Amino acid sequence: MIDFSEEQLERYSRHILLHDVGVEGQEKLLQARVLIVGAGGLGCPIGLYLAAAGVGTIGIVDSDTVDLSNLQRQIAHFTKDIGMSKVESAKEKMLAINPELTVITHQVHLQASNIREIIRGYDFVLDGTDNFPTKFLVNDACVMENIPLSHGGILRFDGQTMTIVPGRSTCYRCTFKAPPPPDAVPTCSQAGVLGAVAGMLGTIQAAEALKYITGVGTLLTDTLLTFNAKTMDFRKIKLHRQANCPICGEKPTITELFDAEQAACDLKCSF
Amino acid sequence: MTKADAVKDCRHVGCPMNMVYAKVALSKLQSGQILELILDDGPPINNVPGSVQKEGHTILEKNRLDDGAWQLLIKKA
Amino acid sequence: MQITINGTLENITETPLSIARLLEIREVESPEMVSVQLNGTIVERAHYGEATVSDNDEVDFLYFMGGGSH
Repeated sequence: MIDFSEEQLERYSRHILLHDVGVEGQEKLLQARVLIVGAGGLGCPIGLYLAAAGVGTIGIVDSDTVDLSNLQRQIAHFTKDIGMSKVESAKEKMLAINPELTVITHQVHLQASNIREIIRGYDFVLDGTDNFPTKFLVNDACVMENIPLSHGGILRFDGQTMTIVPGRSTCYRCTFKAPPPPDAVPTCSQAGVLGAVAGMLGTIQAAEALKYITGVGTLLTDTLLTFNAKTMDFRKIKLHRQANCPICGEKPTITELFDAEQAACDLKCSF
Repeated sequence: MTKADAVKDCRHVGCPMNMVYAKVALSKLQSGQILELILDDGPPINNVPGSVQKEGHTILEKNRLDDGAWQLLIKKA
Repeated sequence: MQITINGTLENITETPLSIARLLEIREVESPEMVSVQLNGTIVERAHYGEATVSDNDEVDFLYFMGGGSH
């Protein structure tokens, strides 16, 4: 058992007071290792909340640098950070909130060749990536490495998320099968996103990670939570494991990871 | 008088930190063991016993001390 | 016939009704960006033409949503 310092007791008092979390739950958080994929619209609120919550080791993956157009929603990055690597900028803010954490930065482009090595050893992965090939890659790698995952996606005024516990619940590929053809994906200039929608969805994902680690409540497994910020309608759609899923089904056909084709616009410009 | 297995003095500790200390102290005990918790008069004695009971523990005794503080004997659930 | 689309009960007169036609009726702009769940099973994209919707079926349009990082 951890001997909490006076400072820790005060910092985490609102967690410790929660009947479902308590001292034991906070200990689990401090001992947990969580990986955030993407330090953008979703990864920023996820990172800040997990840091504030005292998740002991937080990894963060992103190969990009901060751009002026990011600041409307990527709340860990400040105007002074333009040009800085996103993972370093996020790390700085996370440690400013909670200096006792270990933040591991991975300034790389996630690929089939490096993803399994990067995610291995983490207890939970949060997907905050902006493109479909990477979303499928993260899903497949987490299924292969048996690491629970929170999927997140936002577009315009909408958000969606689901939590995947490999072997126990439906995976992203069960429902979405394969990345849409690159030419069907709305181009960056056409789409946009309400900044606060990123915060809404990222915060839900962070809550799922905290719930998983502490064992509190019911996860969004076998469930797609969607919302529309224009109407503030939230909907939970029941999903089912698909026996023919190529990665988590009865006879998986994906036995090795691969890099799918990516829409040109996904590579650089923003959703 | 019932003998306590651990004592936590929360004199001059306000809400909700007194409850935090109580929870930490209780977490170190085994089920059935007893914590002696000292609380200030006022909001602490008015609030903490209810919170302790909500967590499933039993309050065996509640005694006023000479200095005006309160002594609670709590049996861990 | 009555079918539940995205959680809402709707009356649709056209029968037989394929998934492809339903996507048209509902004016889904880019069907490539939707995954269709029919009574709990994801319909293969290649089968949208043949797969038909019957009375009391439950259909969900599950949209691809990609944003997040950049």
